[in-house]
Amino acid sequence: MRHTLRFTGVGGQGVLLAGEIMAACKIKNGGFGLKTATYTSQVRGGATVVDITLDDEEIRYPYANEGEIDFMLSVADVSYHQFKNGVRPGNKIVVDPNLVHPTDEDRKTWEIIEIPIITIAKEEVGNVITQSVVALAITNTMTGVLPEESLIETMLSKVPKKVHEANKKAYAFGKAYALKAMETK
Amino acid sequence: MAREVISTGNELAAKAAVEAGARFFGGYPITPSSEIMHVSSDMLPKVGGTCIQMEDEIAGISAALGASMTGTKSYTATSGPGISLKAEQIGLAFIAEIPLVIFNVMRGGPSTGLPTRVSQADIGQAQYPTHGDYASITLCAGSLTECYTQSVRAFNLAEKYMTPVFMLLDETIGHMHGKADLPDIEEIEASIVDREKFHGEPADYKPYKAEMNKPAVLNPMFEGYRYHITGLHHGDEGFPTEDATQCEFNIERLVGKINTVHLENNGLDDLPDYEEVDLEDADVCIIAYGSIALAAYEAVKKLRSEGIKAGLFRPIMLWPSPINRLEEIGKKFENRIMVTELNMGQYSKEIERVIKRNDFTTLLKANGRPIAPAEMVAKVKEMI
Repeated sequence: MRHTLRFTGVGGQGVLLAGEIMAACKIKNGGFGLKTATYTSQVRGGATVVDITLDDEEIRYPYANEGEIDFMLSVADVSYHQFKNGVRPGNKIVVDPNLVHPTDEDRKTWEIIEIPIITIAKEEVGNVITQSVVALAITNTMTGVLPEESLIETMLSKVPKKVHEANKKAYAFGKAYALKAMETK
Repeated sequence: MAREVISTGNELAAKAAVEAGARFFGGYPITPSSEIMHVSSDMLPKVGGTCIQMEDEIAGISAALGASMTGTKSYTATSGPGISLKAEQIGLAFIAEIPLVIFNVMRGGPSTGLPTRVSQADIGQAQYPTHGDYASITLCAGSLTECYTQSVRAFNLAEKYMTPVFMLLDETIGHMHGKADLPDIEEIEASIVDREKFHGEPADYKPYKAEMNKPAVLNPMFEGYRYHITGLHHGDEGFPTEDATQCEFNIERLVGKINTVHLENNGLDDLPDYEEVDLEDADVCIIAYGSIALAAYEAVKKLRSEGIKAGLFRPIMLWPSPINRLEEIGKKFENRIMVTELNMGQYSKEIERVIKRNDFTTLLKANGRPIAPAEMVAKVKEMI
């Protein structure tokens, strides 16, 4: 079964890392995972999109097929609007409501879920850099595409030791917010 | 295939260079190739090698050529704009027969073009990167694994044929992150080719006195064998000449030595020059290379699931192109060939030249975006 996920943000936010972690985790569990990023030549602030494809069978084409994306998470308005149409109608899109402003039409087309990802990282975890791990936790909690323990292990192997605790905390916060959002729905 | 790694194409290219025995990198970073330099700067010093960021692309290739003259396997990495800058020194490498691997991770052009976006529009540049007559060897990676295996091969070919070799990646392949299966390091080490050396008396040494279609034998500098290296036409010892017979021989030999590449069994080099997928019983042949072939695999699968017998021909060695096999494919598929590439038809022109017909279909894109499998499927359906 193929899962296609999309993260969108702006350059410098660290959405690339979350994609890499998911692809690596799938591979470590005997499957196939590919991550591709598309970005602009602006150093910071340009629209960035990361597509992650996970499958038990070999994947060749690394980009998501437009209209077939299972889940999207967005932390920037510019890239949200540019890349939202790749998501299959009716599927979940998680946005940071302080940064992303979906239209009324969007709310009819997709299941838009609002979680203040950046604020959680900044204020509750206490380190804005951990936003990519908050995003990672939300994504996996909502899609259940990867075994959690292994995902956390892969994540920790990709971040410096001194921030292990902060990132574990970020994962726990992301998961809790995702569960809460799913209950409310 | 015994080493599973999770990496990007650019990182794998750098790893391949080091494991193929390269010990010098000279260059200047440019998107989307920069990670080749970053990883090299980490790996090379650990094995006693050198990675140097020069003041610009021209100085980068100049330093790498100088290193190569001392017998050290050397490389540089850049993108199309960097190749344009390096063009003059690439010419020196061709005529003076200095081995060098030149990585080009292709992005949109011309000029600075589309720095972060994918393109395959430098394949023509790789064939004729500089003025004058010569023939180029150009390999093009079509998977993460090939970013490694074909890069190793590039070094071997450079040493064997005493020539610059182009190793092409494109932005998609260079930056995509996933699993690659690499040969064991022992297998790589056993495949390594080192340039020929002259072991006789220094007084008898004539580096450029090579037979027709054979490369020069250039001993490393500073080992007691003296000779001259120049961009001018030169005689047996490397000193300039304008002798008509000699100049004619030089050019015929420079072109001829490369055109033997497909004829020889290159030892190491049992790697194929092309890949064929489901072609035997196919009614339609898609021709694609580099990252576009990744979409083509999926298009072939999808078409077959709908009862359309499609197959894929994927050239790996772009130059010299696998002419004999292309001729056969031209005959077999008549007007059922679709060439798809991220440029305005640079390889399509080669297909037309080889099969001597233009009754094939093309699916081209040059706006910095990839071609999706669905676009290929739709185009093939239009053809039949």
